[in-house]
Amino acid sequence: MNFWYFLTALTLLSALMVVFAKNPIHSVLYLVFTFFCISGHYVLLNAQFLMAVNIIVYAGAIMVLFLFVIMMLDLRKNVPESKSNLTKLAGAVLGGTLLVVFIAATRHMNLGNGSGAIGAQTGMVESLGMILYKDYLLPFELVSVLFFVAMVGAVMLGKREAGERNF
Amino acid sequence: MNAIIALSLSGIASLFLGFSTNRKNLLITTLLFVLVALGLNLADWNHEYFWFNNMLKTDNLSINFSSVILLSTALVVAISRSFGDDEEHTHPAEYYAIMLFAAAGALMMVTYENMIMLFVGLEILSVSMYILTGSDKRNLRSNEAALKYFLMGAFATGILLFGVALVYGATGSFNIHGIGEVVSRTKKGMELFEGGVILYAGIILIFIGLLFKVSAAPFHFWTPDVYEGAPTIFTTFMSTVVKTAGVAAMYRLLSISFPAVYGLWGNPLVWITCLTLIVGNITAVYQQSFKRMLAYSSISHAGYLLITILAKTPNTNGSILFYSLAYSIATISAFAVLMIVSENKPKDGKPDESFEALNGLSVNNPFLAFVLTVSMLSLAGIPLTAGFFGKFFIFTDAFSNVSPLFKNILVVAILMSAVGVYYYFKPIIAVYMKKGEIAEIQLPLIYKITLIITTALTIILGIAPDLVKNMF
Amino acid sequence: MQQLPDVIRQIPLNNYVWFSAALFCIGIIGVLTRRNAIIIFMSIELMLNAVNLLLAAFSSYKADPAGQVFVFFIMAVAAAEVAVGLAIIVMIYRNIQSIDVGILNKLKW
Repeated sequence: MNFWYFLTALTLLSALMVVFAKNPIHSVLYLVFTFFCISGHYVLLNAQFLMAVNIIVYAGAIMVLFLFVIMMLDLRKNVPESKSNLTKLAGAVLGGTLLVVFIAATRHMNLGNGSGAIGAQTGMVESLGMILYKDYLLPFELVSVLFFVAMVGAVMLGKREAGERNF
Repeated sequence: MNAIIALSLSGIASLFLGFSTNRKNLLITTLLFVLVALGLNLADWNHEYFWFNNMLKTDNLSINFSSVILLSTALVVAISRSFGDDEEHTHPAEYYAIMLFAAAGALMMVTYENMIMLFVGLEILSVSMYILTGSDKRNLRSNEAALKYFLMGAFATGILLFGVALVYGATGSFNIHGIGEVVSRTKKGMELFEGGVILYAGIILIFIGLLFKVSAAPFHFWTPDVYEGAPTIFTTFMSTVVKTAGVAAMYRLLSISFPAVYGLWGNPLVWITCLTLIVGNITAVYQQSFKRMLAYSSISHAGYLLITILAKTPNTNGSILFYSLAYSIATISAFAVLMIVSENKPKDGKPDESFEALNGLSVNNPFLAFVLTVSMLSLAGIPLTAGFFGKFFIFTDAFSNVSPLFKNILVVAILMSAVGVYYYFKPIIAVYMKKGEIAEIQLPLIYKITLIITTALTIILGIAPDLVKNMF
Repeated sequence: MQQLPDVIRQIPLNNYVWFSAALFCIGIIGVLTRRNAIIIFMSIELMLNAVNLLLAAFSSYKADPAGQVFVFFIMAVAAAEVAVGLAIIVMIYRNIQSIDVGILNKLKW
């Protein structure tokens, strides 16, 4: 119970640090930390497969890609950003207002808690595998088209053409 | 469904065809692939069928939308001219393959039955378009357009997904008919069930996400930049295929899942439609670049399409299809003329896309001038062209709707059509009245045939609209 | 680990909705206030993670695995998007030696 609040606060804090950190590398590291916190939430929700996939795919693969690009482009130096303070303020106010409006609209809502779901095997690999390969077979196959597009595109865009500079 | 499989496989095949050195063959085979997919698509006619545990549903409406999309794809492929002779910097096999995959994604967006399919299809289409927008790698404007499109598109996807998650929380289903059942039950009970608030919040967020994709105001600001920066051939693809697929996906969702809560999305949509029409048309007047003007015109046409979605009459299916078909073929011929004329007359080493580039086109190229005139008249909605009947059907639908709000929309739409006539005549005046020097442009055979097809279709649909309208 | 799933019984689902809404809004603030393309991109990842968490919470509380399958798809799609997005960013850096969105103003914003 208390642990839930602790983990939530930690997640939100590190998410804020992602957005407000000056150095891009710090941002990436905070983002990795946020992903670990979210994986902790998945454990609390008994979604163990998602916990594993989240760490492997997000914190493992995606974040390494980010870190790799940042290091390759050498963005350590703190270049002052070109955005004016007014637009920054407007953006922050807009995001904050959105949250306040959402919470105000839902404050009387009572979704209850999942007392019926205790002991359910929802998040286990077995039940997810059954539904993924039976009901969701078609999207599962078609995601491969997406990966194919992404692969072809990333190679095409990233490849150095004749006469282009290296870096 | 078979068309999706065929397109995915032929995309892979056309990548391998890239090993062959003859670029001309690549164009012909790709065209053939798209036409095969079109045939497979039409083979399902009059068979309502659910595929793979209710993931996709093909019915006559979705087959019609798919046909419009595949026809546009075929026409765009036909005017691509194998992307020029620059062996070093263009990769036609990759471009064609990605276009085929993008068409598969667009077909998923018009036949989906489950939110997952909508999401996967939308992403296949969007990711393909990000890549194609940035495909002119050494051109800074193309780079910038790709980044802008990518960041805005990913942002919109995030918003859409948050909406899907909230709707799932409220209804417990990803199936659009399943969601529709729960939503209509809610309405009958006349009271918010637990979590009604998050259902409404979710619907609005899904709505915003989709409006981003069809570039309706106030979510349109990325459109002119991206359309202007992208290579013209891919701008054509974007403003026809992507727009049709987005509107069809939105129509499907709103008419199947959320008709019971019309009040919730109907009223904001009225204002969004008016704003889209006004912003699109008024800003188009001030443009100096023909390409940018066409980008704003595509925003305003999104506004006209939204009117039909709002009107909710039994004729809506036919009107929306007719309008997207008329808009797509007219846009393709306009871009085709722009592309070949601007490349013929470079300014500072880049194609000149301003109105001046068209000056005096009619002297040596009467055919191109005629094609451009017909397409502009059709986009403006002048009688005897397809665009006129497109607008006519839409206004009739709006008129038959009893709600007083619709009178306002009609007034705005008719006023804005009048504004449209003004800026669509600018290129026509440049072509016939202004003095300029354009040498005779040699058109490749397939290019010429495509232009004849689009122009003939525009005129035939403008004289005998019932030919097609009755099919829908 | 015995008592961990008890969270489902003790924490109302509302908390999860608010928690992910907060995470989502932090992501939106990041997109709107930052100019570095990579940080904007990371903020979008944050938004997607808020969606994932919300879907997983709904799915566990309803004991319906479909929500978690959707999370799986979102992760797959996000991976593909990251590959393409970073390729675009690298391509731009190669041309102008910067990834500040403000410098990119050949086209009007």
